[in-house]
Amino acid sequence: MIDNTTKNIILKVRDIAEERNIVASFSLHYENSHLMRIGNNSVSLSTSEELTRMDIEVTNGLRQGSHTQMGEIRSVEQVIESLEIAYEKALVAKEKDYKPIEDEVEEIFVENSQNDNKFNDLTPDFKAESYSKIFNSVGNNYNFSGSWSSGTTEQFIVTTKNKNSAYLVGTDQIFTIVLKHPVKSWEITATQTGWKKSDFDLDYVIKELKMYVDYYENYPATQIDIKDYTVVLGPQAIAEVIQMAIFTGFWGRTYEEKQAWTSKNSIGDKVLGENITISDDPLNDLTFKSCFDFSGQKRVKRNIVEDGKFVSLMYDSTTAAKFKREKTGHDTSSFSITVNTGSDVECPIDAVKDMEEVLYIPALHYINLPSVSKGIFTGSSRFNALLVRKGKVVGPIYSSRITDTFQNVFGNVAKISKLAKSVNLSNTYGRRAPVAFSVPNYMVCEGVKITDCAESF
Amino acid sequence: MKIDQKLKEKIVKNINLTMDKNSDYVDVRYLSSDNSESIMLYNGNLEANDTTFESGIGVRVLYKGAWGFAATSNLDAIETCFSQSFDNAKTASKLVNVPLKMNKKPSHKSKFISPILIDPFEVPLKEKLDFLISLDDKLKEEWILQRVISANFQKKHTYFFSSEGTEVERKLFNVFASINIMALDDEGQMQSRTHDLFTTGKGTRGWEMLIEPDLFSGNIDKIKSELSELTKAPSLEYAKRSVILLPSQAWLQVHETIGHPLELDRILGYELSYAGGSFVDLDSFGKLQYGSKKLNVSAFGGIENSPGSFGFDDEGSPERNYMLIKDGLLVNALTSRAMISEANQKAGKEIFKESGGAARATAFYRAPIDRMTNVNIQPGNDGTLEDIIANTEDGIIVDFPNSWSIGSNREHFHFGCEIAWEVKKGKVTRVLKNPTYQGHTVEFYNSLSAVGDESTWHVGQVNNCGKGEPNQVMQLGHGVPVVKFDNVITGERK
Ligand SMILES: [Zn+2]
Repeated sequence: MIDNTTKNIILKVRDIAEERNIVASFSLHYENSHLMRIGNNSVSLSTSEELTRMDIEVTNGLRQGSHTQMGEIRSVEQVIESLEIAYEKALVAKEKDYKPIEDEVEEIFVENSQNDNKFNDLTPDFKAESYSKIFNSVGNNYNFSGSWSSGTTEQFIVTTKNKNSAYLVGTDQIFTIVLKHPVKSWEITATQTGWKKSDFDLDYVIKELKMYVDYYENYPATQIDIKDYTVVLGPQAIAEVIQMAIFTGFWGRTYEEKQAWTSKNSIGDKVLGENITISDDPLNDLTFKSCFDFSGQKRVKRNIVEDGKFVSLMYDSTTAAKFKREKTGHDTSSFSITVNTGSDVECPIDAVKDMEEVLYIPALHYINLPSVSKGIFTGSSRFNALLVRKGKVVGPIYSSRITDTFQNVFGNVAKISKLAKSVNLSNTYGRRAPVAFSVPNYMVCEGVKITDCAESF
Repeated sequence: MKIDQKLKEKIVKNINLTMDKNSDYVDVRYLSSDNSESIMLYNGNLEANDTTFESGIGVRVLYKGAWGFAATSNLDAIETCFSQSFDNAKTASKLVNVPLKMNKKPSHKSKFISPILIDPFEVPLKEKLDFLISLDDKLKEEWILQRVISANFQKKHTYFFSSEGTEVERKLFNVFASINIMALDDEGQMQSRTHDLFTTGKGTRGWEMLIEPDLFSGNIDKIKSELSELTKAPSLEYAKRSVILLPSQAWLQVHETIGHPLELDRILGYELSYAGGSFVDLDSFGKLQYGSKKLNVSAFGGIENSPGSFGFDDEGSPERNYMLIKDGLLVNALTSRAMISEANQKAGKEIFKESGGAARATAFYRAPIDRMTNVNIQPGNDGTLEDIIANTEDGIIVDFPNSWSIGSNREHFHFGCEIAWEVKKGKVTRVLKNPTYQGHTVEFYNSLSAVGDESTWHVGQVNNCGKGEPNQVMQLGHGVPVVKFDNVITGERK
């Protein structure tokens, strides 16, 4: 953990840097995590990591340099060594044609609102036992895979601008299980996420899996025709497509550089349906919260899309400096994107009982963007995808591809669930940086382009 | 730098102590240094000027058929790391349906160093910047809105020890670089052209590779003129036609629809909760006609200079040179030791004789999984690019991916590319923008109708292949020629 001794070493080096007139920011990142992986109904990997990373950035007028060092912080000398590396780089660096905004911790921040003291009970044994209970309840004749990552993240930021510090400590977990039929090859999944141990609900997972097992075992599968459909997107699909839409449409840099699908629009223009409102809300407990960003700026709730009109853009320090805008607390990986819920029933199947034929696609696999300028995305269905007629499940569908625009899909939403769901979008490629979006349980989108369907799941 | 003798003794002692607790197998990777440097010039502004240093130890324990892993950057905590890894394996062993096995191997002591002339970390930052700035100067034009030049240097020094007595020391170097330019077309959409540093597969892979004009800077005028053409070009219309992939597109096609589906852990179902499965099963080997007779795919391929050439994998197996697909027939996979033993046991016969040397880990704190090495299409007999164009009635040539989306079992795919050239009656007629194509993997490779000769073949360098949980980014290579496929769906349905 980042203890007081460690913090004091960093504060001491900050003071030394200040005395030497070096403009620097120091950011410590600590993680203590465990991940269990399941494959073929067995634990295929149980792994623990405890890692500390220190990032130092030095600004020398128009020049900048940075260095990241992994390892325990043991001495002032050790941190000075890293500072020197960043300093040397900033001396040699090419001058920028804009003045960088120097990092500054605006006030003393402590973010500990999502730190569960019961998290230590989420042991490898508890995880293995929970998986075992699921296999036994749903059926050991199926092939189960999954992963369960849980951990504590800490962050400590100071700059030479002032004496303030920012500190975050939080817990997070993501549980996934995939059930595959050993012969018929269909797959269904269940996920759970949150910052509390109790966010994992074993009974709910079992109930959800059993419901889909019933649909997949007892109803025939369809290779659907290639045409336009009413598609009910589930929470995972909504979160992932919205993620793509906001970073290619409402990210300050993409917009300013005329790369965005919104670049021909101005603030205030209607770009999505009028029932769509999207905000970045660091107070939403269905997301992983941070009240400050890496540059030390306070993060506050900001509407990005209001009733379909885009009302603001997200600016990180670099873009703000370059295009002479106000930065907006977006030097962060902890986006708290919140898509407003609607007034329709909670359950997606109930919502479409009067509709002739719809596809329920709760998640899209491997989404990408064939044209950012046009807002075109593509991805294919995988888990839990169903053909529904008049509110009755006809059966599962084979792997089907949607290739359509954000404007069309989120411009023609007929119904939005009143239930909000948390969708974990974290990856574990580098350092632990939990991120979750809060989205409606479903959206009924009309006239969505299905462009391919495989002959199998 | 030699490993500190005391540290080595401590590692070996702890391996023995862990084996004494009835472990099946133990291995340790100590990365004495894992350096990375990133430089990026964005419209001439130095937006990335970063170095990263990591060092630490990763311990993997197989106990009653289950893997435990733990890692630490604190060398004083080695004992704790071993016991945590052992405890993780012990917990894992309580829920084992298919016990994993490492069939015994004779020990060896080996070394590998990537071939280099100039260590990029010894080149002064000023010299690196001056070189990249000189390239950026050549990109500057009023109509080019974005210029992005990036370079990434990697250097890893790894020591491997196993309970079988194997010891491997490796020094691996990588140099990645890219030039990307963007401009608005006549409809106000952003168009892009990119050139990535590639290799011929021969030679060395230090700083000298980056400053070799043929591989990198010499392509600037070409991408500028192509981008200029794109800004005035019409869009590709939806139709079935032939598609000719240039190597800078073909490598990704191979990567996504041959490489990934042939990773044995994926075939066995160990990636289902993240990356997905594979349409290939154990029954497919020796039976599945993956592609037309013209399709010959190798693993490693004896390529001496590539991010996919690393001597020994992260469980000490030597990298091997073998065929994955022979005359279109699927014959082998990308494999590691535990996975081949499970696959052979499941199949009830010996499909895989020995590890393909494909167990790789991205960092000391991640456990190895089955990865690509170099997955290559062997050069064919259909001549040069010009010959292939001359033999095409109605088609497009496409280059450089800007979008890729693949089905979870890799059975179908959709690609978007930066640029297309229309081919009619054996001649290139015009440039087309926003090209896309899609297909079903087996049907697509069976429509392979031309494979270019050696003159069309180069090795694409990959710096960002993602897989596994916890996620791991891996570096690898693909040697590919120009390839042509017939009856492919191109463009988007209106
Ligand atoms: Zn990949």
